[in-house]
Amino acid sequence: MSKIEEVAALVEKGKAKQIGAAVQSALDEGCDPVEILNKGMIDAMGIVGEKFKNNEIFVPEMLVAAKAMKVGVEVLKPHLASDATGALGKLIIATVAGDLHDIGKNLVAMMLESAGFEVIDLGVDVPADKIIAAVNENPDTKIVALSALLTTTMPAMRDTVSALAAQDFRKDIKIMVGGAPITQAFADEVGADGYSEDAASAATLAKSLV
Amino acid sequence: MIIIGEKINGSIPIVAKAIAERDSEFIKERAKIQAAANATFIDCCASVPEAEEVETLKWMIDCIQEVTDLPISVDSPSPAVLAEVFSYCKRPGLINSVSMEGDKIDKIFPLIADTEWNVIALCSDDTGIPKTAEDRLRVFNNIMAKAKEYGIKPSRIYIDPLVEMLCTSEDGIAMNVEVISTVRNQYPDIHIVAAVSNISFNLPMRKYVNLGFTVLAMNAGLDSGILDPTNRDMLGLIYATEALLGQDDYCMEYIGAYRDGLFSKPEAK
Repeated sequence: MSKIEEVAALVEKGKAKQIGAAVQSALDEGCDPVEILNKGMIDAMGIVGEKFKNNEIFVPEMLVAAKAMKVGVEVLKPHLASDATGALGKLIIATVAGDLHDIGKNLVAMMLESAGFEVIDLGVDVPADKIIAAVNENPDTKIVALSALLTTTMPAMRDTVSALAAQDFRKDIKIMVGGAPITQAFADEVGADGYSEDAASAATLAKSLV
Repeated sequence: MIIIGEKINGSIPIVAKAIAERDSEFIKERAKIQAAANATFIDCCASVPEAEEVETLKWMIDCIQEVTDLPISVDSPSPAVLAEVFSYCKRPGLINSVSMEGDKIDKIFPLIADTEWNVIALCSDDTGIPKTAEDRLRVFNNIMAKAKEYGIKPSRIYIDPLVEMLCTSEDGIAMNVEVISTVRNQYPDIHIVAAVSNISFNLPMRKYVNLGFTVLAMNAGLDSGILDPTNRDMLGLIYATEALLGQDDYCMEYIGAYRDGLFSKPEAK
């Protein structure tokens, strides 16, 4: 097994305690840091996402894999160009106004980060103007991802998408939505660019939007 | 949860027969299935007259060590037998058991003081099994004084609060809970063990009583049990309870045990 394959295996198994040493040892052996990131981590997370979609693994297994990757990336960071870890670009994520749920949103954020996005997480109960301000502060934002977990906050999601649509930057960003009550039909109706039903699919969707 | 596999015990008729016939395959098989079920220790009890006990235990230990590297819990009521047999094991295990009865502790503690052996200590003394939590804790304090005297760290001691049958108890397991939680609070890294199935003697559908007891005792601070590791219901419940008690980050142990098929129904092919 090559050092990079070892890193990938540790990401897949979510071995946060062991991954730092494995990444270090791959670096010591002269592996290319970008290669370690892409083959050892991002691809491994792709496999994890795939397994999750196929009901082969459970949510916590996906979580610990993403956590392990995070630990590994910390070791890798000093050896990478500053933009290597967020190579796919900036993505702003938030749970819409009036909704305090963050578990699903956090999971999506982790998967997106693992897929290679630089994720700016605005948290929960985020009003539309705050999201607009964040896009203005980060003009290179590629995607805005919105989460709503309640039927009662679906209108807030609609309003947020509308508010974003009224901005000049709308043509430069993609909007993706998700959450338990959200459907593809609802996403189309409110004018979002994409919908996915779980965190692993969200990563695939985001990659297809940029 | 530390699991002391209980299936190699001469008090089980089918095991007694195998011991009498020196059927080593039978003993090996029982060791193997318990190892496969993630037992931490394999208990080894001959349940034969003391005159034959040392020789019998050595034969049983040979059988077990031939098929698994798991440490053995050497189980005998006789301190003389324990003293003679424990050093026969290839690796340090568990002495099952001592108590404040007679000179049991004074015989065993000095022998294991400078070893890595662990020891089960029962909360009983020359007065028998104390009736109240207060008295059992008094015995416990005496055990700990002896441990200190012989230089045995709490982390090597498995305290057995002595589980008696529920059907004749007047307060359920309130007394056990009091003993377990007091011991746990005083010594965070001590082990507390119970022979779980004692609780359900003389009751129908014993498994429900065993399962219920295990959850409540774990909640009080029990961290080890003498039980059948191949009992899937019990294993699933133990893993679930550990997760519920916050002892299993992200439920990974629970999921791992499920993946290993320790308590899940085998997939229909």
